[in-house]
Amino acid sequence: MATCISPLSLINGMSQFKNILSLSFRDYSHEWRMSGCFVLALASVLAPMMILFGLKFGIVSSMVNDLVENPDNREIKAIGSGSYTEAWLDELSARKDVAFIIPKTRALAATIQLKSKTAGRIYSTELLATAAGDPLLREVSQTPRGFNSVILSEEIATKLNVTKGDIIDGSLARQFRGKRERVHIDLKVLDIAPGHVVSRKVAFVSLDLLLASESFKDGRAVPKLGWNGDSEPLSKRKYPSFRLYAQSIYEVEQLVDDLNQQGVEVKANLAQIKTVQSIDQNLTIIFWIIACVGAVGFSFSLGASLWANVDRKHKELSILRLVGFQGGKIILFPVLQSMYTGILGWLLAVLIYLMAEQSINQILAPNLQIERVICYLLPEHFFWALGLTISVAAGAAILGGVRASRIEPSDGLRDI
Amino acid sequence: MSVIYSLKNVVKSRLVGEAGFRLNVPSIEIHEQENIALVGHSGCGKSTLLDILALALHPDSQDEFLLTPKKQDTIDAGFLWKKKKQNRLSKIRKQHIGYVLQQGGLLPYLTVRENIELPRKLMNLPQDDSTRCMARVMGIERQLDKLPGLLSAGERQRVAFTRALSHRPSILLADEPTASLDPITARKIMAVVMELVKGLKITMITASHDWAHIYKMDLRVLKQEAEVLDNGNLYQSTFTD
Repeated sequence: MATCISPLSLINGMSQFKNILSLSFRDYSHEWRMSGCFVLALASVLAPMMILFGLKFGIVSSMVNDLVENPDNREIKAIGSGSYTEAWLDELSARKDVAFIIPKTRALAATIQLKSKTAGRIYSTELLATAAGDPLLREVSQTPRGFNSVILSEEIATKLNVTKGDIIDGSLARQFRGKRERVHIDLKVLDIAPGHVVSRKVAFVSLDLLLASESFKDGRAVPKLGWNGDSEPLSKRKYPSFRLYAQSIYEVEQLVDDLNQQGVEVKANLAQIKTVQSIDQNLTIIFWIIACVGAVGFSFSLGASLWANVDRKHKELSILRLVGFQGGKIILFPVLQSMYTGILGWLLAVLIYLMAEQSINQILAPNLQIERVICYLLPEHFFWALGLTISVAAGAAILGGVRASRIEPSDGLRDI
Repeated sequence: MSVIYSLKNVVKSRLVGEAGFRLNVPSIEIHEQENIALVGHSGCGKSTLLDILALALHPDSQDEFLLTPKKQDTIDAGFLWKKKKQNRLSKIRKQHIGYVLQQGGLLPYLTVRENIELPRKLMNLPQDDSTRCMARVMGIERQLDKLPGLLSAGERQRVAFTRALSHRPSILLADEPTASLDPITARKIMAVVMELVKGLKITMITASHDWAHIYKMDLRVLKQEAEVLDNGNLYQSTFTD
């Protein structure tokens, strides 16, 4: 049978709720010193937790991520010279655990001679094909396309004394029909790859340019660049090697196993990966332990102070019961006051955290000589903190409030 | 006049330190508009009986505990306690009972006016001029916007009486309302209260240990007898008509 709530009882209920809301706030603001102490107590536990998580989310996570995402750790190198078709490379590229793959035209390094107007000599430089998403160029915003653009590693850019936007001369030499030939090509420096990512002399070019250079060296003509040579068509191209990166260090081992099973001999930095994985896991465990201990401590601290508040309010709650407030509504009195404490304490903690975040980022960043943010929280982290605070506050207050609502109205009356 | 309270064999026991205390009410009938005094020394159970009459304390057992507020059906309070109908009891307290405590029992965070209007607010009664009128009669009109902490003990008791009467209850209970006041102030306040109670046709039950004062106010005094039972381990206080 459905239970009907009469409009009159609903209005009365709303009216009692309004009364309790108003009374609890009046009491809370009347005892502003005590309320302030509760708010301070809450903020003094919550703010350091937020700062700790700010550091965890900021510098620690980003340093661990650097290790986890470091291309050196994610790279899987082919051993020796193979014969890989484009179809095979495409198939590998389609795997979810593969972040990037691009063919190499030589098992060892392909080279190009680079010269600039401001450098005294010509430098033989490793020539690597690149494309969008290359982990080695993740800090570089542009990708070389066509035949006239290049991204230089910091080392070769320094030697050539060039910067972004400069035009340099690239040249390739070959022995063709008994004669030594050399071709030149103007290359625009699109960007410089930082030294901490690529620490050798490398020129990143489009796959088209790499293939053109190989064609030239093999004695074939490259009409698009006006380079002469044999014009016999190239049968299906096969590559002797490739540059392959897994999505993360966690996928490297599986990829290595799969490739080995296919008969492709590869190697990866597995020992280093194990160390990094262990650092990542241990740091995560340590932070979860700190987080759990912090959250439990915070819950007990907040719960205890709010529970004590319900006890302190006992006699006034008795008066409210005596004048006719129902037990269920009485529970709301300490619950609402706990909400006020929770929200104000959270606001104060956020304020303290934001000031600490600013100070930490401004003071420590220059000392650590890093550009990344040291202490940082996302907006949702603040709301998680609010959710935790409100849940604990409500839980503690409901427990106390239920106890208060069960006490007979006569209890505590003689004390007021 | 019709019977407003009818109690038969109502018992409430408590442990006071090592010894037990038992309040025993074999039979009491209180009629509408009667003014009753519970007189006895401290610790004889006056406040306990008042709390029971106020439906603020549940008796351990009773054969009959009936309450018939003015122009209302009889309420079996004993049954409501037994069935733990707390909300129903709250509602009865709210509508029919005004209670004055020894120290006033005012909420410190509300002004005098808000304290007085609280029972009316709870009953959704209109906020009319009655608060000011009653405050004028009680001599606290100038204190209406002050917090209770700024009032003298006498003023606080006047506010407590005004609050207890603000929603025009059928019953006014007062627990040693003038105990903390000097005799002159106490008499002045009680004189005004008695006048109001008569005018509003309210039944008043007050507890006091001041015999002389009670007899001068012309209240019907319930008999109280005390006896020590169980080799001195149980103190029993009996109230009868």
